[in-house]
Amino acid sequence: MRWLRFVVGLLIALTLHSLLDSFYPNALGFFDPYVILVVYYSMGGNILGAIIAGVAAGFVQDAFSLAVFGLHAFSLTVCAYAVAYINSRLVLRGTLFFGACLAGAVIVNELVMYILVNILLRQRIEMFEQEMLVKTVFTTLFGMVVYQLLLLFLREEPIEAVQRPTGW
Amino acid sequence: MAASADVIPRRPTLLLIVVLSLLFLLMSFSSRTRVVGETRTLFERTVMTILSPVPTAVNWVGTTASDMYHGYLDMRRSVVENALLHRQLARLTAENLKLRQSAADLRRLRSLLSYSDQFSMQTSLAQAIMLDTSGPFKSVIIDRGSGGGVEINDTVVNANGLIGRVVLTTKDMAKVQLMIDNNCSVGALIERTRRQGVVRGNDAGGAQMFDVPALADVQAGDTVLTAGIDGIFPKGIPVGTIVQAQKGQNLFKSITVRPTVDFGNIEEVIVIHTRKIPPEIVRYAP
Repeated sequence: MRWLRFVVGLLIALTLHSLLDSFYPNALGFFDPYVILVVYYSMGGNILGAIIAGVAAGFVQDAFSLAVFGLHAFSLTVCAYAVAYINSRLVLRGTLFFGACLAGAVIVNELVMYILVNILLRQRIEMFEQEMLVKTVFTTLFGMVVYQLLLLFLREEPIEAVQRPTGW
Repeated sequence: MAASADVIPRRPTLLLIVVLSLLFLLMSFSSRTRVVGETRTLFERTVMTILSPVPTAVNWVGTTASDMYHGYLDMRRSVVENALLHRQLARLTAENLKLRQSAADLRRLRSLLSYSDQFSMQTSLAQAIMLDTSGPFKSVIIDRGSGGGVEINDTVVNANGLIGRVVLTTKDMAKVQLMIDNNCSVGALIERTRRQGVVRGNDAGGAQMFDVPALADVQAGDTVLTAGIDGIFPKGIPVGTIVQAQKGQNLFKSITVRPTVDFGNIEEVIVIHTRKIPPEIVRYAP
């Protein structure tokens, strides 16, 4: 069931991606729906599930973007692992903590991609800092709104969050 | 199996390192193939193929919605434009009617003016304001009277021919007895043979020509003009056309004349200020 919910979330993220790509191509520079999905899933504290979710979401994002295949998968996996690891220890709950995790994840995601592009393609991303800042703000705000709506209307906690993680 | 499933969560960092290493290898391979020219790996193409319905559907929905929205906007614009064009059409139609009326007025006035130039006597233009051809006294009232120089017995014509004579004047109006009135007599002649007679109106809206001898040469189609011998109507104004000439009672022909003027269509007229013969000369007998 939790994987079905993840797949539905992934399809919604892809739909948003396609919509923005078709009608407002520049908007994808300010907003990343896949990070929201992966962070939401990883907030449950299940590290294995978070890694799989990061790889899957990253592959889908890679397939429909012009980046090197695996780039987003790599960066999202790192983010997912970090968020899941922190949540397995601290059990963070609530919109503000979700926003904080999301903001951190966006920054980590962008930094990882920046480093990988430098290493693999020997290219520099133009206006990286500005883009990262804008993307962090917009993605975090949007993600917090989505989280709040899920709490309000679906009484939805992050996937797996109901289960207390066992000790590591 | 239980042991391996238990091992993985206990070594999450190891799992992460393995996964990231595999991804890094995939990226290296992918970036190399891109340089060679193959833009997509098999795995990438497979993922794209599986998920391609989503962007296709999104694109279709978006394009359809956009088309519908723009279609709706176009329709709204068309409705507004249509209303505007309707108003414009109504205005232009009214304007066109006015212009046509003006053009017709201009043509009529030009023909009247050119006709009035033929007369050596003084003339003035007037407008028919009331027409009565149905009563026993067939007349028309014009908007020019004694103040405009109109006098009793002035001749009234239009571009087609003789209308009648002034029988009553006020300061700014005058009443004209039509030549088709049966109390109106016009000294006339047949243009082809110069045979003279008298034209009088009949009750049927036409006229009869009297006093033409039975032996005179008269044919249907002959033109009848004023003869200028009655002391009222100047010579040479078209009166009508003979439509029938029969042998009448006594020694005269019975001649039916169709007036050249359409008395149902009188608008502007020319008043010819004729020279009047003093009554004492008329009445004088040696």
